[in-house]
Amino acid sequence: MSELAPPGVPIYLDYAATTPVDACVAARMSECLTAEGCFGNPGSSSHAYGEAASERIARARREVALTVGAAPEEVIFTSGATEADNLALFGIAQYYHSTGRHIVTARTEHKAVLDAARELERRGWSLTYLTPDRGGRIAPDQVAAALRPDTVLVSLMHVNNEIGVIQDIGAIAAACAAAAPQAFVHVDAAQSVGKCAVDLHAWGIDLLSLAAHKAYGPKGIGALIVSRRRSVQLTPLLYGGGQEHHLRSGTLATHQIVGMGEAFALVRSTLSEELTRVARLKARLVQGLEAIGGVLINGDPAHSVPHILSVSIEGVEGESLLAAVRSTIAVSTGSACSSAGAEPSYVLRALGRSDRLAEASLRFSLGRYTQPADIERAVEVVRAAVERLRRIAGS
Amino acid sequence: MSYSALTRHYFEAASAAGVLEGARCARGAAGAREEGTWVQFDLELDPSGARIERARFRAFGCPHVIAVASFLAEQAPGRPLEERWPESVAALRERFEVPVEKLGRLLIVEDAWTAAARAALARPKTH
Repeated sequence: MSELAPPGVPIYLDYAATTPVDACVAARMSECLTAEGCFGNPGSSSHAYGEAASERIARARREVALTVGAAPEEVIFTSGATEADNLALFGIAQYYHSTGRHIVTARTEHKAVLDAARELERRGWSLTYLTPDRGGRIAPDQVAAALRPDTVLVSLMHVNNEIGVIQDIGAIAAACAAAAPQAFVHVDAAQSVGKCAVDLHAWGIDLLSLAAHKAYGPKGIGALIVSRRRSVQLTPLLYGGGQEHHLRSGTLATHQIVGMGEAFALVRSTLSEELTRVARLKARLVQGLEAIGGVLINGDPAHSVPHILSVSIEGVEGESLLAAVRSTIAVSTGSACSSAGAEPSYVLRALGRSDRLAEASLRFSLGRYTQPADIERAVEVVRAAVERLRRIAGS
Repeated sequence: MSYSALTRHYFEAASAAGVLEGARCARGAAGAREEGTWVQFDLELDPSGARIERARFRAFGCPHVIAVASFLAEQAPGRPLEERWPESVAALRERFEVPVEKLGRLLIVEDAWTAAARAALARPKTH
């Protein structure tokens, strides 16, 4: 973190990949680990140790539910958003396989949804992959047009992890309800909490995936919110114990769940001022980068969270660009989940960017510890790298 | 992607980046920017036309491409003009610890060098 990092340590601008655990969150988590704390199995209702852990979990469940406009009993804790996405897709597909085998999603979804969708396709389900407009948005009528009598699920993300574009989930859900009332709506909101408002019931959706570690909580914990509005049913992925309404068997990880609840409570309490602060930082970042010239913003800026800015830079090669800045700033090219691969970002390609521009892209994601001086330094470093690489290339 | 110290050095310094123009200069290039790798060498010969006096490069490519092109241009002054660089692509790959999947990019660097050397060898003799 910039204000804590010793000189020479890169400025962290990759909060969309993960965030550091808030110190208060870590303190609450540590209270649930050792012999002096709430280490009991929350499923052990026969003694005080189990009851104490169970109470902590109930409190965390309420915090998570409150943050996303859900009821506590709708929260199913999972190991993270990837498992939640898998439970949503496979759970619906398996349970409703005799009703229909068609699923609608988008080409710009996270791999947790796309890879699950590909696997269902391999097993015989029919998939429709929507292509967003050049700004990264999917129109409600575009979704409605893709629906069929055998559509069982529409799975779309709220905030895109690479470009930060926000989908109008309420309008999309309304279009789905009108055109194909039998279809359930799942939303991956892993990037949303702490960046914009999330409201399960106001949106009128059925399933919502969440992750703690994008919101200053621990890694390894997330949730699938299962709305009781329409009594959606899921076939579980795991068996053994029947925890979480038989949807996610396994001993509940008290410290992780407590961490998620605490983290969500903290981001909820600071959301509005944090949005204003980060929006100012992003505006300065955009201004500084655009002044370099040949810098193209990816995604519709009018419908994006302030925390994420993706740009493609003309006249430079992507790997060299990252190599030139990485000792000073920690940013991402494409999503962290796919950066091991050499392929250009599939999200940017879906938006119509060429392979070269998709490769020459940087994702800046700002967070709680980002300061104005970090933005000034980032702009300075990118400018110097771009000018140098363009000079070498004769661009 | 991690890089060797030698790669980082030549990528960061790139001290031979640029162009040369004049009667004793020849140019060769290979690759294409839209394909991700493009390299150009300019060679300036000594008055006899037998030796390289200076070399400069331009490169659009990954750090390994820039580093190897920079290395070749820096090492060139004083060498006899020959069509091929005396060190093989395999040796350069080993020297710079270039991943095997990038071998094609090093071949583009080699092609650019060869094109420049051929252009220099084809120059009309002035003496």
